[in-house]
Amino acid sequence: MADWRDRWELVIGLEVHTHLKTESKLFSPAPVRYGEPPNHSVHEIDLALPGVLPVLNEQAVELAIRLGLAIHATVNPVSVFARKNYFYPDLPKGYQISQYEEPIVSKGWLEIEVGKGEQSERRRIGITRAHLEEDAGKSIHDDAIAGGADSAIDLNRAGVPLLEIVSEPDLRTPEEASAYLRTLRGILRAIQVSDADMEKGQFRCDANVSVRRRGETAFGTRTEIKNLNSFAHVEDAIEAEALRQIELIEDGGVVVQATMGYDPERRRTHVQRLKENADDYRYFPDPDLIELRIDPARIEAVRARLPELPEARRARFESEYGIAAADAGLLTTSRTLADFFEATARACGSPKAAANWIVRDLLRELKERDLEVEATKLTPAMLAGLIALVEGGRLTARSAAEIFPVLVSEGGDPERLMAERGLEAVSDTGAIDGLVEQVIAKHAEVVAQVRAGDDKPLNFLMGQVMKASQGKAEPGSVRSALVRKIRG
Amino acid sequence: MSQAEKVLAGSLADQRAALDRSEINASELAAASLAAIDRFADLALVVTRQDEAALRDAEESARRIAAGRARSILEGIPVVLKHNIVQKGESATCASHILEGFVSPYDATVVERLRAAGAVFVGRANMDEFAMGSSTESSIYGPSRNPWDPSRSCGGSSGGSAGAVAAGIAPLALGSDTGGSIRQPASFCGVVGFKPSYGRVSRWGLVAFASSLDQIGPFARRVSDCAALFEQMAGHDARDSTSLPEPAPKVCERLDGDVAGLTIGLPKEYFVESGVDPGVLARVREAIAELEGAGAKFVEVSLPHTTHTIATYYLIATAEASSNLARYDGVRYGRRAKDPVDLEDLYRRSRSEGFGAEVKRRILLGTYVLSAGYYDAYYGKAQRVRTLIRRDFEAAFRGCDLILTPTAPETAFRLGEKSGDPLAMYLSDVYTVSANLAGLPALSLPCGLANGLPVGLQLLGKPLDEVTLMRVGDAFERRTPHHRLAPPAPPAPPAPPAPKGAA
Amino acid sequence: MARDLEQILAHVASLDALDTQGVPPTLHGFDLPTPLRPDRAVPAMDPELAVLNAPARQGTAFLVPKVLEEEG
Repeated sequence: MADWRDRWELVIGLEVHTHLKTESKLFSPAPVRYGEPPNHSVHEIDLALPGVLPVLNEQAVELAIRLGLAIHATVNPVSVFARKNYFYPDLPKGYQISQYEEPIVSKGWLEIEVGKGEQSERRRIGITRAHLEEDAGKSIHDDAIAGGADSAIDLNRAGVPLLEIVSEPDLRTPEEASAYLRTLRGILRAIQVSDADMEKGQFRCDANVSVRRRGETAFGTRTEIKNLNSFAHVEDAIEAEALRQIELIEDGGVVVQATMGYDPERRRTHVQRLKENADDYRYFPDPDLIELRIDPARIEAVRARLPELPEARRARFESEYGIAAADAGLLTTSRTLADFFEATARACGSPKAAANWIVRDLLRELKERDLEVEATKLTPAMLAGLIALVEGGRLTARSAAEIFPVLVSEGGDPERLMAERGLEAVSDTGAIDGLVEQVIAKHAEVVAQVRAGDDKPLNFLMGQVMKASQGKAEPGSVRSALVRKIRG
Repeated sequence: MSQAEKVLAGSLADQRAALDRSEINASELAAASLAAIDRFADLALVVTRQDEAALRDAEESARRIAAGRARSILEGIPVVLKHNIVQKGESATCASHILEGFVSPYDATVVERLRAAGAVFVGRANMDEFAMGSSTESSIYGPSRNPWDPSRSCGGSSGGSAGAVAAGIAPLALGSDTGGSIRQPASFCGVVGFKPSYGRVSRWGLVAFASSLDQIGPFARRVSDCAALFEQMAGHDARDSTSLPEPAPKVCERLDGDVAGLTIGLPKEYFVESGVDPGVLARVREAIAELEGAGAKFVEVSLPHTTHTIATYYLIATAEASSNLARYDGVRYGRRAKDPVDLEDLYRRSRSEGFGAEVKRRILLGTYVLSAGYYDAYYGKAQRVRTLIRRDFEAAFRGCDLILTPTAPETAFRLGEKSGDPLAMYLSDVYTVSANLAGLPALSLPCGLANGLPVGLQLLGKPLDEVTLMRVGDAFERRTPHHRLAPPAPPAPPAPPAPKGAA
Repeated sequence: MARDLEQILAHVASLDALDTQGVPPTLHGFDLPTPLRPDRAVPAMDPELAVLNAPARQGTAFLVPKVLEEEG
């Protein structure tokens, strides 16, 4: 199976559910809060008490328009809320208010970067639609509840506004799928539509997967993997499901339409339900809500207030700061990281150095600690201070690399940290001359070679002086002192 | 008859005057109303007393009246609520086992507004389960009996509200009208009943039957009383997305008794001899003559899609109901089956034990007409025919100011007479459902007796034109004695056969 | 009940005779857009009140017989 990718092509479409950043719920004025005890963040509407009615949250509409514009889509002047009817204990009304035939946003696209470094290219991925809907509550399964016989129902999440964003089946590899998700998440955060925190369940993904032999143009039968809640799971689950389908077909079987679950521990997908047993949701326009109309003037007003998108920012970083394309791409994967870069660049006046520190050192630290930049103690002012010390020759690169992790975990004033640790670069001629004389005295043979005109051993001598200074000597001063003392 | 009972038997205007002149205080009036609920208990009209809240509110009213700070014309006046309008701390069963024991943690908008106007809610009226019926027989409380003849129906689904006003339990009551549920019982019980334009009165706190058709409306013994109650509760409510943005119309100040120059349409499809009780038709023709004498002009109009209104109505109403009633699952409130073996069993048994036969029938029909493959043929089709019906009215109103019809094709029928034949029951709504489909205001008022039973006259208005309806209704009342007819008192003990579901 | 439903469906089949091609559906009594509510949260319900009517509860959560993940 190792070479399956040479023989088979994957066709992937993704459905993303993302929580909108609103103060109150989609159809009720209950606050949107996370981590509350059960039913501590509900309104009569969320409990579906007899006689309650929904009223649409204006900000949710604003955010949906914002996403529509960001993905170059059509914001429909008329859209309709429909009831999706099914019974489940975390669905209090017995129906979910969603949009069905007439969504608020249709036909958009975004660009993803595929491949690495020199071989990277940009691909355009179509987005079929995005629609507003309400989230369901949560069923809590716990053996502590009635000895494991019962489930507890918590409706805090019921009614939280969601955008469901449905891609075209344009993705071809698990890596592309995860690149699409990262790009989409970057956009959602950049335009402040969603915090899209996967751990909080604010950004959830279902993947539609089918396979076909390379060269074929017709789509294979697809399955849908539900509830993928991390980027790693998305890639692994798609690969596992593709392999399951390929093995099945190569063994003479056929893929049947089904809803799949993914078990990350066994790295395997399993059939949850066959499509032929699918529910009939009996969609119909919600008679409690009239159609949603959006004035073109409103769309233009949202466009005027639209924050800069990652792709535009990336281009600006290249042109305005002279940052390499690959670095600009990395810096704009998240709004907070890009903001951090700009603040640092402005504070230290050296955008390239700021980009280098962030792309090489900061991203590595973040990855090691599994943190987002805003969760560290490092501020743009601190990093700018550190860069200024290096550029001013007061701190060597080696010493700076020693201070940096401290700033990330504890913060502080770089200059004071340098002083406390005695790391200030030694460029004082007297101190350097003393070290140089000691080294010359110890290595007479090497000194003779240098005196004879051979520059190569000079580096060895420099290394010895640096070592003696514990890395604090300023390299330029050391070199000139050596040359002056040996060659006169 | 005690002084309090005498006052209670009068109109809103009479009661207002008695309270303001301190002939009686609000607490005494509320107590008399609560006593009347018990006196008429055998008729199953008001089936839940709200003594504690009523007496507390009445006492506050009495204090305000004494201090000269009455809040409105309704200050201290007893009002009966249909069992599908929620009030904080009180039950709202919809006459269904599935909501037995439910206590509302919040107030309906109409309750909030009427309380702010000083009204005193004395109790809750019987109804067809979830407002699905035209006879107030499908109720866990047993059938409401008509004060005019206890062997007969009050009509429905707001039969308890209509009967309570007719019997003199309270001068005012609220009902809800989805296909005639206020007007037909008003007609059967000889009182005034009014369905406002769709969107005029907030539905917040009205337990939904069919959301695009439901409206709350008033019952009273006079058109002017009905107008006063309507004024206090109508108007925009931000909690109901289908609430009209316009402010409530000032109706009372427009009741001048003048109908001269108005053109009233008579739909030819409604005035056919077949299917209408001749006595009903005779009373309606007398009413026409009366209004003609007062200067109104009559013209024939046509509503060509009349024969399709019942089918259209039942498709839309059942579809919406099937979804609206999905929330009763025994999880958060209401009836829950004992010891469910699993989730499926919890749903199935809670709903099967909780809902009565008519509700189940409509949920089944509604589920069917919305299902994939049938949607276009049934629900989708009905919504298009609804447009044709609305257009019929638009065309008719180009030639007249309002339309006059009988409210129902018959007078109050005997209990049990139609309960075995759902289709016959549905067809008795033929004159009333079109106002709901087209969102029009509609008034039913007494226009005499046929076979010793009240006959109702229906006035249909242009959308939002409640004022013209009330003016014509009031003018008719000023010229005729029908509103003074009262049921024979005291009621005879009820004849036995109570259909299923008696509690 | 099946016989009642058949009878009712036979009655509503009368609509088949009407030509509704090109006729838009009427979803409501009037033609207005849905109103929008400003995004301001009100205090959540008292949790005790939220579960006051619950037939079965544990703490402030509702209880139902165990919800099983669907398996094929």
